[in-house]
Amino acid sequence: MNAWQLLLTLLLNTLALASLLAMLTVGLTLIFGIMRIMNFAHGALYMFGAYAGISAARLVDSFWAGLLVAPLVAGAVGSAFEYFLLRRLYKRDGGSFLLITFGWALAMSELVRLIWGSNTRDVQLPEILSGIVMLAGEPFPMYRVFLVVFGSATLFALTYAILRSRLGLLIRSISQNAEMTHALGVDVGAIRSLTFAVGCGFAGLGGFLAVPLITGYIGMGGAAIIDSFVIVMIGGMGSFLGSAVGSLLVAATQSFGNFYFPDLALVVTYLLMICVLLLRPGGLFGEEE
Amino acid sequence: MSLNRRTLLSGAASLALPAFIRPASAQGDAIKIGVATGITGNWSALGAQIQRSCRLYAKTVNAKGGIDGRPVEFIYEDTQGDPAACVRKTTELVESRGVKLITGLISSPESLAIMPRLAGWNALYLAPISGAGSLTSTAFVPNAFRTCTSGPMRARAISLWLAKSPKQRFFTIAQDYAWGKNSLATFEKLITDLKKETVGNVLTPLGTKDYSSFIARIREARPDVLYVAMSGDDATAFLKQAGQYRLSERMQIVTEVLDLFNTKPLGDAGIGLHGISQYNYAHAAPANAEFVRLFRAEYQDIPDTWEGEMWQTLEFLAQGIRRAKSTDANALRGALESIEIDSVKGKVTMRACDHQAEQPVFMARLDKDPAIPYPTAKIIETFQADAVIPGCRKDTY
Repeated sequence: MNAWQLLLTLLLNTLALASLLAMLTVGLTLIFGIMRIMNFAHGALYMFGAYAGISAARLVDSFWAGLLVAPLVAGAVGSAFEYFLLRRLYKRDGGSFLLITFGWALAMSELVRLIWGSNTRDVQLPEILSGIVMLAGEPFPMYRVFLVVFGSATLFALTYAILRSRLGLLIRSISQNAEMTHALGVDVGAIRSLTFAVGCGFAGLGGFLAVPLITGYIGMGGAAIIDSFVIVMIGGMGSFLGSAVGSLLVAATQSFGNFYFPDLALVVTYLLMICVLLLRPGGLFGEEE
Repeated sequence: MSLNRRTLLSGAASLALPAFIRPASAQGDAIKIGVATGITGNWSALGAQIQRSCRLYAKTVNAKGGIDGRPVEFIYEDTQGDPAACVRKTTELVESRGVKLITGLISSPESLAIMPRLAGWNALYLAPISGAGSLTSTAFVPNAFRTCTSGPMRARAISLWLAKSPKQRFFTIAQDYAWGKNSLATFEKLITDLKKETVGNVLTPLGTKDYSSFIARIREARPDVLYVAMSGDDATAFLKQAGQYRLSERMQIVTEVLDLFNTKPLGDAGIGLHGISQYNYAHAAPANAEFVRLFRAEYQDIPDTWEGEMWQTLEFLAQGIRRAKSTDANALRGALESIEIDSVKGKVTMRACDHQAEQPVFMARLDKDPAIPYPTAKIIETFQADAVIPGCRKDTY
């Protein structure tokens, strides 16, 4: 492998990992941006979506079915949680959300274990995604190419919806001034519920997309959520663009770091976060509150 | 006082809670065995294997009247694979539940964390999984026994197998904790002693999700053989991603832990993978045939590595109790030293000097078995204990 082949491989690895990280982080950001809630159950939803998607994919023997079902189930579970529990706490302070989402995370993890058991679960990739492409003479997994394309397309679609659609306009206005938006006759509660469900859906989607790389296992959410929080801190709480840039930066430190200085790759990720917070306490694209 | 819904729920919860916190002990004279294992967390799939074996053992032994007429009762605690939580949960087992026989721990750091406390607890620990060489060497304590093979024994077996191979260049990838580091060091020394070349190594943090850069590093080093010292979910993820990058087309992959749990997700793509099958369902031994029969009847599947290893641990414990006619730690310790049992691996002896079980190590290749729907580990060479076990209280050769 020459220097160019290596650089290309590492860059593509970065993009594929960033796509996976962004799926999880965008949902977290969406929820925080509009509701000011740091959802500690996001990792558990990531796992729940992954397991639900695997079951669906196995049931009809189609990876694509899992890709569809994972976000829908995670979104539905999130929506039910918001409707029955979270909604009752909106008038309380942030500590209440921390406690209830943390408790929900524990309950969901246990629920996954009770429903699906402790064994790892896997999904069969369709033939089109299970092959390799030769890039400058080096094999590169087709599934990672799919992750780059699918992740980018999904993020562009979401960004477009937020910036150009009426729903996006309402979401942005609620995130800036919920009282004023409500005074203009908008059902703020309904928009919040929908946003929460969409955010949770992204967690489920991210979980299912991770399965062909890591398989589904109890605890997969806990490992993923730490990276997400780091990304949110780097990019800025509630900033969409920040999530995307943060995902790219964390993915780059891990991909290049694990190649060039594997003993220090994790340290570099956290150093990056510390440096950003020292220079911009609100994150790269966030505002200090 | 009016009874509203909230009061009713609170009352019901307060009544129900103690039942969740402290399940009642089944029988007063039962032999209580504490199983502190990973019920949740990264090791939960291995913990599930441990629990399956224990449940089957209790059912089988208790149906025959127990051990020396006493029923066996397993008490499970979740360590989440965390050494600090493991110490806390094991302390609770010993001090609050009166348990003096402990097993089921998974990672070496967990075992190393509880071992210095065993004497104070007057408790015995039988390690069914932990592979770090130090358990039976530098960290040896009289009240701990290792019934499974150690990492150095497995590395030694692989190096003996590779000694006959013309391949010269070796790369090692290992998990960054006690067992992984120990295996890496042992393997590299053995390979260097064989006048072969180590062209690189890398330690991966526990819980790593993306191995693409490590794989790029391995490809860059162009080894003939990749030695993998990884276990649990990390091993599954690595082997899967290595398959996606077609790593095995460029080098031979040999793993220290060839578990079905890790190889099932690979499907037929895993065929040809070599490694150590610590316990093998097809090994010809009468006790193994009986165990596999019981296991298949109960779970409709063949037992995996840790189910077999756990069964061997429980057989050691039962034979020790019968020999000592007691569950007292001191009496049982004496009975376990030098005991020989008919195990799932054949005749296995507990070495008295360092409490390491002397047993064969199986080199295997992942292959098709017409009777099983997924590829399984097929034994290609058996190394007897005397060929692979390090000197007494040593973890090097």
